[in-house]
Amino acid sequence: MSSAPTVYKGKSGQWAFISHRVTGFLVFMFLLLHIIDVSLVIIDAELYNEVHELYGNVFLRLFECGLLLALLYHSFNGLRIIAVDFFPGVIKHEKQLTGVVTFFTFALGIPGSIIILWPFIDGTLL
Amino acid sequence: MTTTIEPGEERIPAPPPRHAARKQDRAPKQNFETWSWYFMRVSGLALVFLALTHFSITHIINDVVETDSVFVAERWDNPLWRLFDWALLALALLHGLNGVRWIIEDYVQSPAKRALTKALVYAVSFTLFAYGTFVIVTFDGGAL
Repeated sequence: MSSAPTVYKGKSGQWAFISHRVTGFLVFMFLLLHIIDVSLVIIDAELYNEVHELYGNVFLRLFECGLLLALLYHSFNGLRIIAVDFFPGVIKHEKQLTGVVTFFTFALGIPGSIIILWPFIDGTLL
Repeated sequence: MTTTIEPGEERIPAPPPRHAARKQDRAPKQNFETWSWYFMRVSGLALVFLALTHFSITHIINDVVETDSVFVAERWDNPLWRLFDWALLALALLHGLNGVRWIIEDYVQSPAKRALTKALVYAVSFTLFAYGTFVIVTFDGGAL
């Protein structure tokens, strides 16, 4: 990375651009892994079950919460991009739109994460 | 005829009238990148529904440890769920692949490295697409 001054100055659009890239890339990497783990089901169902049980441990549950937040952010920010592209007038409300994206990401992501982590929270799982 | 300007509206200039556009401006050439741009928006819209439904079923409605091979067999007993999962596989892979292509074009400067990186990502993606399709089509729940 160069230390030359950039054109953008860290306003909401630039953060959205970077966040969209990072979340999209991470979800894509998970997708590649996920195709491989699901495909085990036709090779050896027992192996599939063993690998799949790993997804239930607390570290992978935390990872799943991250995946949920990335998916939600990428979804809502994608809808924002579509809105701005097809209805250029809404750019006037750019700041509010970014706020709506952030709000929905956490409004759905936090309850979702609590549900995913619940077996850990209520002590069923250590 | 006068137009009333609402307060706060004057900062954004009105777009030039449509008839002022030159002929070539009205019908821009449609190239691959134009279609790739449309594809990202259309597939993205579908993926909001497909991916979030899939995640809700496998992590929110059911706990992840319940999604064992029997769960897969019960779900894939219905061909519509196989179609749903295949649509998700195809669109997510293509949408992701195109996104990664844009990232590579932005950050991998050397032509040789860029060609190599793309070839690798394309090969992995298309192999996994073919393999994933094979799994969804040939899975036999009765054989478990």
